[in-house]
Amino acid sequence: MKPQNLSSSSLKSRFTTRFLRALSRINAQKQFTSTSSPREIFQRYRRIKVAADKSMAYSVRSRRRWSRAMLSKLRSRSSSNSFSSVTRVKKSSAATKTGHEKEAKIKSGTGDQEEADELRELVPGGETMDLCNLLDETAHYIKCLNTQVQAMRKIVDFYSP
Amino acid sequence: MLHSLPSLESCNYNGIDMTVLERQQARLKWVQQQQQEQNYMVQNNSNNPVELCASSVPQFQALFGSTLGSRQLVEQNRPEVYLGSDEFPKFVNFSVAGHGPDFVVAAPEAAADYSISRTSSCQMTAFQSAGMKEDGDNVILEKMESTTCGESLNKRKAEAVVDHKCKDKKIKGEVEGESEGKTKCSTEISRNSSKENSKASEVQKPDYIHVRARRGQATDSHSLAERARREKISKKMKCLQDLVPGCNKITGKAGMLDEIINYVQSLQRQVEFLSMKLAALNPSVEFNFDNLPAKEFPAYVANFPAAAKLPAAMANLGCLQFNPLRKEAVSCTVDATMHPPQITSEGIPSVPTSIPEQAISSSCITILFLAGIISGSRFGM
Repeated sequence: MKPQNLSSSSLKSRFTTRFLRALSRINAQKQFTSTSSPREIFQRYRRIKVAADKSMAYSVRSRRRWSRAMLSKLRSRSSSNSFSSVTRVKKSSAATKTGHEKEAKIKSGTGDQEEADELRELVPGGETMDLCNLLDETAHYIKCLNTQVQAMRKIVDFYSP
Repeated sequence: MLHSLPSLESCNYNGIDMTVLERQQARLKWVQQQQQEQNYMVQNNSNNPVELCASSVPQFQALFGSTLGSRQLVEQNRPEVYLGSDEFPKFVNFSVAGHGPDFVVAAPEAAADYSISRTSSCQMTAFQSAGMKEDGDNVILEKMESTTCGESLNKRKAEAVVDHKCKDKKIKGEVEGESEGKTKCSTEISRNSSKENSKASEVQKPDYIHVRARRGQATDSHSLAERARREKISKKMKCLQDLVPGCNKITGKAGMLDEIINYVQSLQRQVEFLSMKLAALNPSVEFNFDNLPAKEFPAYVANFPAAAKLPAAMANLGCLQFNPLRKEAVSCTVDATMHPPQITSEGIPSVPTSIPEQAISSSCITILFLAGIISGSRFGM
Protein backbone atom coordinates (compact mmCIF):
# COMPACT_ATOMS: atom_id res chain seq x y z
CA MET A 1 0.00 0.00 0.00
CA LYS A 2 2.72 2.45 0.90
CA PRO A 3 4.64 2.42 -2.36
CA GLN A 4 1.40 3.05 -4.17
CA ASN A 5 0.69 6.05 -2.05
CA LEU A 6 4.14 7.37 -2.66
CA SER A 7 3.95 6.86 -6.37
CA SER A 8 0.45 8.24 -6.81
CA SER A 9 1.73 11.63 -7.91
CA SER A 10 4.22 10.08 -10.27
CA LEU A 11 1.48 7.83 -11.56
CA LYS A 12 -0.56 10.88 -12.32
CA SER A 13 2.28 12.58 -14.12
CA ARG A 14 3.03 9.44 -16.09
CA PHE A 15 -0.57 9.19 -17.09
CA THR A 16 -0.85 12.81 -18.13
CA THR A 17 2.29 12.64 -20.20
CA ARG A 18 1.13 9.57 -22.04
CA PHE A 19 -2.38 10.79 -22.44
CA LEU A 20 -1.40 14.16 -23.81
CA ARG A 21 0.95 12.56 -26.24
CA ALA A 22 -1.84 10.28 -27.40
CA LEU A 23 -4.22 13.20 -27.65
CA SER A 24 -1.87 15.21 -29.79
CA ARG A 25 -1.36 12.16 -31.97
CA ILE A 26 -5.10 11.75 -32.38
CA ASN A 27 -5.44 15.40 -33.17
CA ALA A 28 -2.66 15.25 -35.70
CA GLN A 29 -4.45 12.40 -37.41
CA LYS A 30 -7.75 14.16 -37.44
CA GLN A 31 -6.45 17.52 -38.44
CA PHE A 32 -7.64 17.33 -42.02
CA THR A 33 -11.21 16.68 -40.96
CA SER A 34 -11.87 19.71 -38.88
CA THR A 35 -15.55 19.55 -39.65
CA SER A 36 -17.22 18.55 -36.45
CA SER A 37 -19.83 16.15 -37.65
CA PRO A 38 -21.21 14.02 -34.84
CA ARG A 39 -19.80 10.90 -36.37
CA GLU A 40 -16.33 12.36 -36.40
CA ILE A 41 -16.67 13.45 -32.84
CA PHE A 42 -17.93 10.07 -31.84
CA GLN A 43 -14.98 8.38 -33.46
CA ARG A 44 -12.66 10.78 -31.77
CA TYR A 45 -14.37 10.10 -28.50
CA ARG A 46 -13.75 6.42 -28.94
CA ARG A 47 -10.15 7.01 -29.71
CA ILE A 48 -9.70 9.28 -26.75
CA LYS A 49 -11.36 6.80 -24.49
CA VAL A 50 -9.09 4.03 -25.67
CA ALA A 51 -6.12 6.34 -25.33
CA ALA A 52 -7.09 7.15 -21.78
CA ASP A 53 -7.44 3.49 -20.89
CA LYS A 54 -4.24 2.61 -22.58
CA SER A 55 -2.19 5.34 -21.01
CA MET A 56 -3.62 4.42 -17.64
CA ALA A 57 -2.75 0.78 -18.06
CA TYR A 58 0.68 1.62 -19.39
CA SER A 59 1.48 3.95 -16.53
CA VAL A 60 0.58 1.18 -14.11
CA ARG A 61 2.53 -1.27 -16.26
CA SER A 62 2.04 -4.95 -15.78
CA ARG A 63 2.31 -4.70 -12.05
CA ARG A 64 -1.35 -5.38 -11.58
CA ARG A 65 -3.61 -7.98 -12.97
CA TRP A 66 -6.21 -5.50 -14.08
CA SER A 67 -3.69 -3.44 -16.00
CA ARG A 68 -2.35 -6.57 -17.65
CA ALA A 69 -5.83 -7.63 -18.63
CA MET A 70 -6.65 -4.19 -19.93
CA LEU A 71 -3.47 -4.02 -21.97
CA SER A 72 -4.03 -7.40 -23.52
CA LYS A 73 -7.61 -6.47 -24.28
CA LEU A 74 -6.56 -3.20 -25.87
CA ARG A 75 -3.84 -4.91 -27.84
CA SER A 76 -6.22 -7.45 -29.24
CA ARG A 77 -8.57 -4.63 -30.05
CA SER A 78 -5.91 -2.46 -31.65
CA SER A 79 -4.91 -5.29 -33.95
CA SER A 80 -8.30 -4.92 -35.57
CA ASN A 81 -8.34 -1.19 -35.05
CA SER A 82 -7.33 -0.35 -38.63
CA PHE A 83 -10.95 -0.57 -39.67
CA SER A 84 -12.59 1.79 -37.33
CA SER A 85 -16.10 0.97 -38.47
CA VAL A 86 -15.59 -2.71 -37.68
CA THR A 87 -14.36 -1.95 -34.21
CA ARG A 88 -17.23 0.35 -33.67
CA VAL A 89 -19.71 -2.34 -34.50
CA LYS A 90 -17.90 -4.73 -32.23
CA LYS A 91 -17.85 -2.29 -29.39
CA SER A 92 -21.46 -1.43 -29.67
CA SER A 93 -22.40 -5.09 -29.68
CA ALA A 94 -20.27 -5.63 -26.62
CA ALA A 95 -21.94 -2.71 -24.93
CA THR A 96 -25.40 -4.08 -25.63
CA LYS A 97 -24.40 -7.46 -24.36
CA THR A 98 -23.20 -6.10 -21.05
CA GLY A 99 -26.35 -4.10 -20.75
CA HIS A 100 -28.47 -7.17 -21.19
CA GLU A 101 -26.40 -9.11 -18.75
CA LYS A 102 -26.79 -6.41 -16.19
CA GLU A 103 -30.53 -6.41 -16.57
CA ALA A 104 -30.62 -10.16 -16.21
CA LYS A 105 -28.56 -9.91 -13.08
CA ILE A 106 -30.80 -7.34 -11.56
CA LYS A 107 -33.77 -9.55 -12.24
CA SER A 108 -32.18 -12.62 -10.73
CA GLY A 109 -32.00 -10.97 -7.35
CA THR A 110 -29.28 -9.78 -5.02
CA GLY A 111 -26.70 -11.74 -3.20
CA ASP A 112 -23.01 -11.63 -2.52
CA GLN A 113 -22.31 -13.73 -5.54
CA GLU A 114 -24.30 -11.54 -7.88
CA GLU A 115 -22.55 -8.45 -6.69
CA ALA A 116 -19.17 -10.05 -6.91
CA ASP A 117 -19.93 -11.07 -10.49
CA GLU A 118 -21.05 -7.59 -11.29
CA LEU A 119 -17.84 -6.22 -9.89
CA ARG A 120 -15.93 -8.79 -11.90
CA GLU A 121 -17.39 -7.36 -15.03
CA LEU A 122 -16.40 -3.86 -14.10
CA VAL A 123 -12.83 -4.54 -13.15
CA PRO A 124 -10.81 -5.54 -16.19
CA GLY A 125 -9.57 -9.07 -15.96
CA GLY A 126 -11.77 -9.71 -12.97
CA GLU A 127 -13.53 -12.67 -14.57
CA THR A 128 -10.76 -15.02 -13.57
CA MET A 129 -10.13 -13.74 -10.08
CA ASP A 130 -11.38 -15.09 -6.82
CA LEU A 131 -13.06 -12.70 -4.45
CA CYS A 132 -9.96 -11.94 -2.42
CA ASN A 133 -7.87 -10.95 -5.41
CA LEU A 134 -10.79 -9.18 -6.93
CA LEU A 135 -11.14 -6.91 -3.94
CA ASP A 136 -7.46 -6.20 -3.95
CA GLU A 137 -7.47 -5.34 -7.62
CA THR A 138 -10.60 -3.29 -7.21
CA ALA A 139 -8.93 -1.17 -4.57
CA HIS A 140 -6.02 -0.43 -6.85
CA TYR A 141 -8.25 0.10 -9.82
CA ILE A 142 -10.32 2.62 -7.92
CA LYS A 143 -7.20 4.51 -6.97
CA CYS A 144 -6.04 4.58 -10.55
CA LEU A 145 -9.43 5.64 -11.84
CA ASN A 146 -9.41 8.46 -9.36
CA THR A 147 -6.07 9.73 -10.56
CA GLN A 148 -7.21 9.32 -14.13
CA VAL A 149 -10.32 11.36 -13.54
CA GLN A 150 -8.36 14.05 -11.78
CA ALA A 151 -5.80 14.32 -14.52
CA MET A 152 -8.38 14.32 -17.28
CA ARG A 153 -10.42 16.93 -15.56
CA LYS A 154 -7.35 19.09 -15.31
CA ILE A 155 -6.67 18.67 -18.99
CA VAL A 156 -10.25 19.50 -19.86
CA ASP A 157 -10.08 22.57 -17.68
CA PHE A 158 -6.87 23.54 -19.34
CA TYR A 159 -8.21 23.41 -22.84
CA SER A 160 -11.75 24.49 -22.27
CA PRO A 161 -12.43 28.20 -22.51
CA MET B 1 -18.44 -25.35 43.48
CA LEU B 2 -15.73 -23.66 45.40
CA HIS B 3 -13.34 -23.49 42.52
CA SER B 4 -15.47 -21.62 40.16
CA LEU B 5 -16.11 -18.85 42.60
CA PRO B 6 -12.60 -17.47 42.92
CA SER B 7 -12.01 -18.03 39.28
CA LEU B 8 -15.00 -15.97 38.39
CA GLU B 9 -13.99 -13.31 40.76
CA SER B 10 -10.51 -13.15 39.39
CA CYS B 11 -11.85 -13.00 35.91
CA ASN B 12 -13.99 -10.11 36.81
CA TYR B 13 -11.08 -8.47 38.43
CA ASN B 14 -9.01 -8.68 35.32
CA GLY B 15 -11.88 -8.07 33.02
CA ILE B 16 -11.26 -4.38 32.83
CA ASP B 17 -9.20 -4.57 29.72
CA MET B 18 -10.57 -7.78 28.23
CA THR B 19 -13.33 -8.33 25.81
CA VAL B 20 -16.16 -10.60 26.76
CA LEU B 21 -14.87 -13.41 24.62
CA GLU B 22 -11.42 -13.26 26.07
CA ARG B 23 -12.88 -13.26 29.48
CA GLN B 24 -14.91 -16.29 28.69
CA GLN B 25 -11.94 -18.10 27.34
CA ALA B 26 -9.87 -17.21 30.31
CA ARG B 27 -12.56 -18.46 32.56
CA LEU B 28 -12.85 -21.70 30.68
CA LYS B 29 -9.19 -22.26 30.99
CA TRP B 30 -9.29 -21.50 34.62
CA VAL B 31 -11.98 -24.07 35.12
CA GLN B 32 -9.92 -26.59 33.24
CA GLN B 33 -6.99 -25.99 35.42
CA GLN B 34 -9.09 -26.33 38.46
CA GLN B 35 -10.29 -29.68 37.31
CA GLN B 36 -6.79 -30.85 36.71
CA GLU B 37 -5.79 -29.85 40.10
CA GLN B 38 -8.67 -31.72 41.48
CA ASN B 39 -7.41 -34.79 39.80
CA TYR B 40 -3.82 -34.48 40.76
CA MET B 41 -3.72 -32.69 44.01
CA VAL B 42 -6.05 -34.51 46.25
CA GLN B 43 -3.77 -34.07 49.17
CA ASN B 44 -3.84 -30.33 48.93
CA ASN B 45 -7.56 -30.04 48.72
CA SER B 46 -7.92 -29.06 52.33
CA ASN B 47 -7.85 -25.34 51.79
CA ASN B 48 -8.86 -23.80 48.58
CA PRO B 49 -6.89 -20.57 48.51
CA VAL B 50 -3.67 -22.44 49.00
CA GLU B 51 -4.39 -24.64 46.11
CA LEU B 52 -5.40 -21.72 44.06
CA CYS B 53 -2.13 -20.04 44.56
CA ALA B 54 -0.30 -23.27 44.27
CA SER B 55 -1.62 -23.91 40.86
CA SER B 56 -0.59 -20.52 39.79
CA VAL B 57 2.87 -20.58 41.21
CA PRO B 58 4.60 -21.94 38.17
CA GLN B 59 3.03 -19.16 36.35
CA PHE B 60 3.88 -16.86 39.12
CA GLN B 61 7.46 -17.73 38.72
CA ALA B 62 7.16 -17.14 35.04
CA LEU B 63 5.74 -13.78 35.77
CA PHE B 64 8.56 -12.89 38.04
CA GLY B 65 10.98 -14.06 35.48
CA SER B 66 9.36 -11.83 32.99
CA THR B 67 8.98 -8.82 35.17
CA LEU B 68 12.34 -8.88 36.85
CA GLY B 69 14.39 -10.08 33.97
CA SER B 70 11.78 -8.67 31.72
CA ARG B 71 13.06 -9.23 28.22
CA GLN B 72 15.43 -11.98 29.03
CA LEU B 73 12.76 -14.59 29.03
CA VAL B 74 11.79 -13.74 25.56
CA GLU B 75 15.40 -13.81 24.53
CA GLN B 76 15.62 -17.27 25.91
CA ASN B 77 18.05 -16.53 28.68
CA ARG B 78 16.88 -19.08 31.08
CA PRO B 79 19.48 -18.40 33.73
CA GLU B 80 18.08 -14.94 33.98
CA VAL B 81 14.71 -16.35 34.69
CA TYR B 82 16.01 -18.20 37.63
CA LEU B 83 17.95 -15.17 38.68
CA GLY B 84 14.70 -13.30 38.58
CA SER B 85 13.07 -15.71 40.91
CA ASP B 86 16.05 -15.89 43.21
CA GLU B 87 14.25 -13.74 45.68
CA PHE B 88 12.38 -16.77 46.81
CA PRO B 89 15.06 -19.17 47.82
CA LYS B 90 12.74 -21.82 48.94
CA PHE B 91 10.87 -21.51 45.80
CA VAL B 92 13.96 -21.90 43.75
CA ASN B 93 15.07 -24.97 45.59
CA PHE B 94 12.03 -26.74 44.42
CA SER B 95 11.63 -25.00 41.20
CA VAL B 96 14.94 -26.15 39.85
CA ALA B 97 13.68 -29.62 40.25
CA GLY B 98 10.06 -29.10 39.55
CA HIS B 99 9.92 -26.37 36.99
CA GLY B 100 12.96 -27.16 35.00
CA PRO B 101 11.23 -29.18 32.33
CA ASP B 102 8.40 -26.82 32.17
CA PHE B 103 10.62 -23.93 31.42
CA VAL B 104 12.62 -25.79 28.90
CA VAL B 105 9.48 -25.97 26.96
CA ALA B 106 8.20 -22.60 27.83
CA ALA B 107 11.21 -20.48 27.10
CA PRO B 108 11.72 -21.38 23.49
CA GLU B 109 8.05 -21.12 22.95
CA ALA B 110 8.04 -17.61 24.25
CA ALA B 111 10.95 -16.78 22.04
CA ALA B 112 9.51 -18.68 19.15
CA ASP B 113 8.01 -16.03 16.97
CA TYR B 114 5.12 -14.50 18.69
CA SER B 115 7.05 -11.72 20.32
CA ILE B 116 4.81 -11.78 23.30
CA SER B 117 4.90 -8.57 25.15
CA ARG B 118 4.75 -9.44 28.76
CA THR B 119 3.50 -6.26 30.16
CA SER B 120 0.52 -7.22 32.17
CA SER B 121 -1.87 -4.90 30.40
CA CYS B 122 -1.65 -6.50 26.99
CA GLN B 123 -0.82 -10.06 27.82
CA MET B 124 -4.21 -11.34 27.01
CA THR B 125 -4.46 -9.65 23.69
CA ALA B 126 -1.01 -10.73 22.71
CA PHE B 127 -1.79 -14.31 23.42
CA GLN B 128 -5.10 -13.99 21.77
CA SER B 129 -3.54 -12.81 18.58
CA ALA B 130 -0.90 -15.48 18.80
CA GLY B 131 -3.61 -18.03 19.09
CA MET B 132 -5.42 -16.60 16.14
CA LYS B 133 -2.34 -16.75 14.03
CA GLU B 134 -1.86 -20.41 14.35
CA ASP B 135 -3.64 -22.33 11.67
CA GLY B 136 -4.53 -25.85 11.26
CA ASP B 137 -3.89 -28.82 13.37
CA ASN B 138 -6.26 -28.30 16.14
CA VAL B 139 -7.50 -31.75 15.43
CA ILE B 140 -4.22 -33.35 16.32
CA LEU B 141 -4.20 -31.51 19.53
CA GLU B 142 -7.64 -32.57 20.36
CA LYS B 143 -6.64 -36.15 19.88
CA MET B 144 -3.72 -35.61 22.13
CA GLU B 145 -5.97 -34.17 24.67
CA SER B 146 -8.36 -37.05 24.56
CA THR B 147 -5.56 -39.55 25.00
CA THR B 148 -3.62 -37.79 27.69
CA CYS B 149 -6.32 -36.21 29.71
CA GLY B 150 -9.16 -38.60 29.98
CA GLU B 151 -11.36 -36.02 31.53
CA SER B 152 -13.62 -34.49 28.97
CA LEU B 153 -12.93 -30.91 29.70
CA ASN B 154 -13.81 -28.85 26.75
CA LYS B 155 -13.35 -30.34 23.38
CA ARG B 156 -13.00 -27.10 21.56
CA LYS B 157 -10.32 -25.84 23.83
CA ALA B 158 -7.18 -27.36 22.58
CA GLU B 159 -5.01 -28.27 25.49
CA ALA B 160 -1.38 -29.00 25.13
CA VAL B 161 -0.91 -30.86 28.33
CA VAL B 162 1.07 -34.02 27.96
CA ASP B 163 1.30 -36.66 30.58
CA HIS B 164 4.66 -35.86 32.02
CA LYS B 165 3.71 -32.27 32.32
CA CYS B 166 0.73 -33.21 34.33
CA LYS B 167 3.00 -35.03 36.69
CA ASP B 168 5.14 -31.98 36.84
CA LYS B 169 2.20 -29.98 37.80
CA LYS B 170 1.41 -32.33 40.56
CA ILE B 171 4.86 -31.99 41.98
CA LYS B 172 4.68 -28.29 41.63
CA GLY B 173 1.40 -28.26 43.33
CA GLU B 174 2.82 -29.93 46.36
CA VAL B 175 5.79 -27.71 46.34
CA GLU B 176 3.94 -24.55 45.99
CA GLY B 177 1.50 -25.44 48.66
CA GLU B 178 4.40 -24.95 51.00
CA SER B 179 5.74 -21.83 49.45
CA GLU B 180 2.36 -20.25 49.39
CA GLY B 181 3.16 -18.11 52.37
CA LYS B 182 5.77 -16.29 50.40
CA THR B 183 3.90 -15.95 47.23
CA LYS B 184 0.68 -14.60 48.53
CA CYS B 185 2.00 -11.06 48.40
CA SER B 186 0.36 -10.52 45.09
CA THR B 187 -2.18 -13.20 44.49
CA GLU B 188 -4.01 -11.01 42.10
CA ILE B 189 -1.00 -10.81 39.82
CA SER B 190 -0.50 -14.52 40.02
CA ARG B 191 -4.05 -15.10 39.04
CA ASN B 192 -3.58 -12.88 36.12
CA SER B 193 -0.47 -14.69 35.12
CA SER B 194 -2.05 -18.06 35.70
CA LYS B 195 -4.54 -17.36 33.05
CA GLU B 196 -1.89 -16.09 30.80
CA ASN B 197 0.27 -19.08 31.33
CA SER B 198 -2.54 -21.53 30.85
CA LYS B 199 -2.76 -19.95 27.48
CA ALA B 200 0.96 -20.19 27.12
CA SER B 201 0.76 -23.90 27.70
CA GLU B 202 -1.46 -24.03 24.68
CA VAL B 203 0.86 -21.96 22.65
CA GLN B 204 3.76 -24.09 23.66
CA LYS B 205 3.41 -26.24 20.57
CA PRO B 206 3.67 -23.83 17.72
CA ASP B 207 4.17 -26.66 15.28
CA TYR B 208 0.80 -28.17 15.91
CA ILE B 209 -1.63 -25.41 16.66
CA HIS B 210 -2.31 -22.91 13.98
CA VAL B 211 -5.83 -21.72 14.28
CA ARG B 212 -7.76 -21.81 17.42
CA ALA B 213 -11.37 -22.58 17.00
CA ARG B 214 -13.70 -20.84 19.31
CA ARG B 215 -16.38 -22.69 21.12
CA GLY B 216 -18.92 -24.09 18.75
CA GLN B 217 -16.78 -23.66 15.69
CA ALA B 218 -15.84 -26.39 13.34
CA THR B 219 -12.26 -27.58 13.44
CA ASP B 220 -11.76 -29.49 10.24
CA SER B 221 -9.22 -28.07 7.88
CA HIS B 222 -11.75 -26.91 5.33
CA SER B 223 -13.66 -24.69 7.64
CA LEU B 224 -10.45 -23.38 9.11
CA ALA B 225 -9.24 -22.39 5.69
CA GLU B 226 -12.59 -20.88 4.97
CA ARG B 227 -12.38 -18.85 8.11
CA ALA B 228 -8.92 -17.59 7.22
CA ARG B 229 -10.17 -16.63 3.79
CA ARG B 230 -13.12 -14.79 5.21
CA GLU B 231 -10.84 -12.87 7.51
CA LYS B 232 -8.70 -11.89 4.56
CA ILE B 233 -11.70 -10.74 2.61
CA SER B 234 -12.98 -8.65 5.45
CA LYS B 235 -9.56 -7.03 5.71
CA LYS B 236 -9.66 -6.18 2.05
CA MET B 237 -13.16 -4.88 2.48
CA LYS B 238 -11.97 -2.55 5.17
CA CYS B 239 -9.30 -1.30 2.80
CA LEU B 240 -11.92 -0.63 0.17
CA GLN B 241 -14.14 1.05 2.67
CA ASP B 242 -11.53 3.73 3.13
CA LEU B 243 -11.29 4.26 -0.61
CA VAL B 244 -14.95 4.48 -1.45
CA PRO B 245 -16.65 7.56 -0.08
CA GLY B 246 -19.87 7.00 1.77
CA CYS B 247 -19.06 3.37 2.38
CA ASN B 248 -18.46 3.78 6.08
CA LYS B 249 -22.09 3.87 7.04
CA ILE B 250 -23.01 0.71 5.22
CA THR B 251 -22.71 -2.55 7.04
CA GLY B 252 -22.84 -5.89 5.39
CA LYS B 253 -20.89 -7.23 2.51
CA ALA B 254 -23.61 -7.04 -0.08
CA GLY B 255 -24.33 -3.40 0.56
CA MET B 256 -20.69 -2.52 0.49
CA LEU B 257 -20.14 -4.38 -2.74
CA ASP B 258 -23.08 -2.52 -4.19
CA GLU B 259 -21.56 0.76 -3.16
CA ILE B 260 -18.20 -0.20 -4.60
CA ILE B 261 -19.80 -1.17 -7.86
CA ASN B 262 -21.64 2.10 -8.04
CA TYR B 263 -18.49 4.02 -7.34
CA VAL B 264 -16.47 2.19 -9.97
CA GLN B 265 -19.23 2.69 -12.47
CA SER B 266 -19.46 6.36 -11.69
CA LEU B 267 -15.71 6.73 -12.11
CA GLN B 268 -15.78 4.92 -15.40
CA ARG B 269 -18.64 7.09 -16.54
CA GLN B 270 -16.70 10.14 -15.50
CA VAL B 271 -13.79 9.02 -17.62
CA GLU B 272 -16.17 8.51 -20.50
CA PHE B 273 -17.69 11.91 -20.03
CA LEU B 274 -14.34 13.61 -19.80
CA SER B 275 -13.02 11.95 -22.91
CA MET B 276 -16.26 12.91 -24.60
CA LYS B 277 -15.70 16.47 -23.53
CA LEU B 278 -12.21 16.36 -24.89
CA ALA B 279 -13.44 14.96 -28.17
CA ALA B 280 -16.04 17.66 -28.47
CA LEU B 281 -13.65 20.30 -27.32
CA ASN B 282 -10.83 19.68 -29.65
CA PRO B 283 -12.21 20.96 -32.94
CA SER B 284 -12.91 24.38 -31.51
CA VAL B 285 -9.57 24.59 -29.79
CA GLU B 286 -7.67 22.71 -32.40
CA PHE B 287 -5.45 25.56 -33.48
CA ASN B 288 -4.79 26.15 -29.87
CA PHE B 289 -3.71 22.58 -29.56
CA ASP B 290 -1.30 23.04 -32.40
CA ASN B 291 0.07 26.21 -30.96
CA LEU B 292 0.48 24.65 -27.59
CA PRO B 293 3.89 23.29 -26.95
CA ALA B 294 2.68 19.84 -26.02
CA LYS B 295 5.92 19.08 -24.31
CA GLU B 296 5.68 22.01 -22.00
CA PHE B 297 2.43 21.13 -20.42
CA PRO B 298 3.24 17.60 -19.33
CA ALA B 299 6.56 18.81 -18.08
CA TYR B 300 4.79 21.34 -15.99
CA VAL B 301 2.24 18.86 -14.76
CA ALA B 302 4.93 16.36 -14.00
CA ASN B 303 6.81 18.80 -11.87
CA PHE B 304 3.86 20.31 -10.25
CA PRO B 305 4.37 19.43 -6.60
CA ALA B 306 7.96 20.52 -6.69
CA ALA B 307 7.47 23.36 -9.12
CA ALA B 308 4.71 24.99 -7.19
CA LYS B 309 6.96 25.44 -4.23
CA LEU B 310 9.96 26.68 -6.13
CA PRO B 311 10.38 30.03 -7.83
CA ALA B 312 10.90 28.00 -10.97
CA ALA B 313 7.15 27.86 -11.17
CA MET B 314 7.10 31.62 -11.52
CA ALA B 315 9.62 31.42 -14.27
CA ASN B 316 7.49 28.84 -15.95
CA LEU B 317 4.52 31.14 -15.70
CA GLY B 318 6.56 34.02 -16.99
CA CYS B 319 7.47 32.23 -20.13
CA LEU B 320 3.85 31.47 -20.77
CA GLN B 321 2.74 35.00 -20.15
CA PHE B 322 2.39 36.01 -23.77
CA ASN B 323 -0.66 33.87 -24.08
CA PRO B 324 -3.26 35.16 -21.63
CA LEU B 325 -5.69 32.35 -22.19
CA ARG B 326 -3.26 29.63 -21.47
CA LYS B 327 -1.96 31.54 -18.55
CA GLU B 328 -5.38 31.60 -17.05
CA ALA B 329 -5.74 27.90 -17.63
CA VAL B 330 -2.47 27.18 -15.93
CA SER B 331 -3.42 29.13 -12.88
CA CYS B 332 -6.72 27.30 -12.87
CA THR B 333 -5.01 23.92 -12.95
CA VAL B 334 -2.75 25.00 -10.17
CA ASP B 335 -5.80 25.97 -8.20
CA ALA B 336 -7.36 22.64 -8.86
CA THR B 337 -4.49 20.87 -7.22
CA MET B 338 -4.67 23.10 -4.20
CA HIS B 339 -1.27 24.59 -4.38
CA PRO B 340 -0.32 27.89 -2.81
CA PRO B 341 -2.62 30.67 -3.98
CA GLN B 342 0.30 32.98 -4.50
CA ILE B 343 0.66 31.68 -8.02
CA THR B 344 -2.87 32.63 -8.89
CA SER B 345 -2.36 36.04 -7.43
CA GLU B 346 0.69 36.28 -9.65
CA GLY B 347 -1.48 35.61 -12.64
CA ILE B 348 -3.05 38.22 -14.84
CA PRO B 349 -6.17 39.55 -13.12
CA SER B 350 -8.30 40.05 -16.18
CA VAL B 351 -9.23 36.90 -18.03
CA PRO B 352 -9.82 37.64 -21.66
CA THR B 353 -11.85 34.95 -23.35
CA SER B 354 -10.55 34.55 -26.84
CA ILE B 355 -13.16 32.05 -27.87
CA PRO B 356 -16.59 33.40 -28.69
CA GLU B 357 -19.52 32.34 -26.62
CA GLN B 358 -21.31 30.65 -29.43
CA ALA B 359 -18.41 28.25 -29.77
CA ILE B 360 -18.84 27.26 -26.17
CA SER B 361 -22.53 26.72 -26.54
CA SER B 362 -22.00 24.69 -29.69
CA SER B 363 -19.50 22.46 -27.91
CA CYS B 364 -22.01 21.97 -25.14
CA ILE B 365 -24.61 20.99 -27.66
CA THR B 366 -22.29 18.52 -29.29
CA ILE B 367 -21.58 16.99 -25.91
CA LEU B 368 -25.24 16.52 -25.26
CA PHE B 369 -25.67 15.08 -28.69
CA LEU B 370 -22.81 12.71 -28.10
CA ALA B 371 -24.28 11.60 -24.84
CA GLY B 372 -27.40 10.71 -26.72
CA ILE B 373 -25.44 8.74 -29.27
CA ILE B 374 -23.51 6.84 -26.70
CA SER B 375 -26.48 5.97 -24.61
CA GLY B 376 -28.21 4.87 -27.78
CA SER B 377 -25.36 2.58 -28.71
CA ARG B 378 -25.30 1.21 -25.24
CA PHE B 379 -28.83 -0.03 -25.50
CA GLY B 380 -28.58 -1.56 -28.89
CA MET B 381 -28.74 1.17 -31.45
